[in-house]
Amino acid sequence: MSNLMLVLIVLGLGAVGFVLGRSRAMSVAGGDRRKLHSLPVYYAAHVGLNTIVPALLLLFGWMIVQPMIINSSVSGMIPASAIEEGGNLSLLMSDVRRVAEGLDIAVTQGAMTVSEATNLSADADNVRDKLAAVGVALGSDVTTDTLHAAQRYRAMAATGNLWKSIVAIGAALIGMAVALRLTAVAFRARNVVERGILMVLIAAASIAVLTTLGIVLSLIFNTVEFFQLYPASDFFFSLSWNPSFSGRGGGSELGILPLLWGTLYISFIALLVAVPIGLFAAIYLSEYASNPVRSFAKPLLELLAGIPTIVYGLFALLTVGPMLVSVFGDNGALGVGWMQGGTAVMTAGLVMGIMLIPFVSSLSDDIINAVPQSMRDGSLGLGATHSETVRQVILPAALPGIVGAILLAASRAIGETMIVVLGAGAAARLSMNPFDAMTTVTAKIVSQLTGDSDFASPEALVAFALGITLFVITLGLNVIALFIVRKYREQYE
Amino acid sequence: MEDMIQMDRAMSTEQDIKISANGVQVYYGENHAIKDVNVEIQDKMVTAFIGPSGCGKSTFLRCINRMNDTIDICRVEGDIRIDGEDIYDARVDPVQLRAKVGMVFQKPNPFPKSIYDNVAYGPKIHGLARNKAELDEIVEKALRRGAIWDEVKDRLHAPGTGLSGGQQQRLCIARAVATEPEVLLMDEPCSALDPIATAQVEELIDELRQNYSVVIVTHSMQQAARVSQRTAFFHLGNLVEFGDTDKIFTNPEDPRTESYISGRIG
Repeated sequence: MSNLMLVLIVLGLGAVGFVLGRSRAMSVAGGDRRKLHSLPVYYAAHVGLNTIVPALLLLFGWMIVQPMIINSSVSGMIPASAIEEGGNLSLLMSDVRRVAEGLDIAVTQGAMTVSEATNLSADADNVRDKLAAVGVALGSDVTTDTLHAAQRYRAMAATGNLWKSIVAIGAALIGMAVALRLTAVAFRARNVVERGILMVLIAAASIAVLTTLGIVLSLIFNTVEFFQLYPASDFFFSLSWNPSFSGRGGGSELGILPLLWGTLYISFIALLVAVPIGLFAAIYLSEYASNPVRSFAKPLLELLAGIPTIVYGLFALLTVGPMLVSVFGDNGALGVGWMQGGTAVMTAGLVMGIMLIPFVSSLSDDIINAVPQSMRDGSLGLGATHSETVRQVILPAALPGIVGAILLAASRAIGETMIVVLGAGAAARLSMNPFDAMTTVTAKIVSQLTGDSDFASPEALVAFALGITLFVITLGLNVIALFIVRKYREQYE
Repeated sequence: MEDMIQMDRAMSTEQDIKISANGVQVYYGENHAIKDVNVEIQDKMVTAFIGPSGCGKSTFLRCINRMNDTIDICRVEGDIRIDGEDIYDARVDPVQLRAKVGMVFQKPNPFPKSIYDNVAYGPKIHGLARNKAELDEIVEKALRRGAIWDEVKDRLHAPGTGLSGGQQQRLCIARAVATEPEVLLMDEPCSALDPIATAQVEELIDELRQNYSVVIVTHSMQQAARVSQRTAFFHLGNLVEFGDTDKIFTNPEDPRTESYISGRIG
């Protein structure tokens, strides 16, 4: 019985339990729902949940544990000599699983009978050809050991699946019976169901937290592996980024500093664009704009945040870059010849700045609006003009929030990829000239992991070290932002 | 001393009118909030506006320093004069007017700045001090007038928001006083305070009377009776009765006033 089928059966039993629970509750109350502690629907939900939840948990647990048990039992059957021949155990085990699956398919397609499949012998029958006939291609001939292991695997899996079905359905039935027995006039079904809902909420929260933890751990493990292949001091302090593409050749120079410099330079220019424009826009929208203007302009500004970054990248590549070249390039309007090509720090920085405007303006706008009206009244009542009020009372009061907004925009800028890939070029370079092409950490993570590089080489693993560095930087920025907001949050009340 | 105050009081009743309002109408959009109010407020005296919620007393108060200008849908008609000068004249800068007519609000609203900067805010904006020493002097004088100097003189650079509610309100009064206003408007200044802080602020209002014309909106009739010399009773946007506080509370002319102060309406 397939897992999907089992889940459907359990859910069906849950629905039956729901109906039974309701009618049971009504019958213990003698048809008068006012006598019950909770509404009938809570008794129904209680029975339904008791049917479904333990059964599904058991099912999932079983699905995790069963392959582990079968694997360890079957891998014991494979002799050490076969492991040496076949490279390593995991490769052999995947062969075993593949043969087992192939036999299953052959049986379901009718190419073999059940007894044939169980009594197959590697020497007499050409297993590889037989399986190829039903569409399962094997890399090498099947040895006796592998075939035995595969047959053992099949047998264990069949028994396991049978017991799995029995246990899951049994758990559902037992849960339903217990819940129906508990149903009584005084039973507090409402409280129990609400506790169940609380569990769901806790589970959802822990999934989010655990995922973060998982991402961090995977970064850390791969980074540790990288530092075993490549010295950490070179990674952090080398001034050149020059990965070799020969594959296993080594000789790569993987210094993070040029990339970090590019990242920070581009982010700096982006913030230089986004912070004043965003902040001034926010001040205008929240303090001066009339309601019709505000209700029209604010969504329009926020639309900027909805544009995919790749589109910004195209804008940088096709519009902003050539425009900048025509001003700062060799034959440009200024005739200064600072800029050689359209891709440059300035191009990416400008476009990224435009992308960040709505982040700064929208958050700042909300923060400025949150400054209580009594502050404005107090200042106006003392004979201050509107702009004096904004400058001397409202902005200082909103400043912590605004700093938080800017830091959020900064971490967004540091993590930005597509604009950089298209707008800033691919050359890792330490230069002060904002019209030079440079590249960033994120862009290099992309280029190190795309293509067919060996995943165990330092050239690929360096991506994880770059990733965790970036993660630490943005995490630091977020922590600082939170700290500033908390520390300087004004108590208006 | 007591004699001098008595003399002061006798003189002030004869003194000229500080604020005079004639035929004032206020509209919030379609809503006619103030209907044809005439009132004359004398200098160096506390005038209380009383009345049930929504009767327009705060709205009228906010006409006197043109704070209603900051509300888009609000429209003021009629004639309000301070020292004979029409404050709704096109030549009057509402910003300058508000420096002359200080205001204290219902909830203490110190700026999120230090105590010193809160008080120095108005003088700095209006350029009242030529140097730091003068500014220090103005701040100290204002804090003394606000009867809070002794409590804060050792922590002038602590945030104003860290004070207690009553202290915050006295700080706001000191802040309003610092710009040397001639009139002080108070919109229910004690409604967010506990009885002890209320008593301190009331005492302060009585002292402020020596230098300013004070107009106070209050919900508490006892407070009006305690601090004011003249009382105006508003009801549904109309000024029902205006006269000496003693008379309003002991022998009101209008039956509505009588009903309100005896607790039958409101």
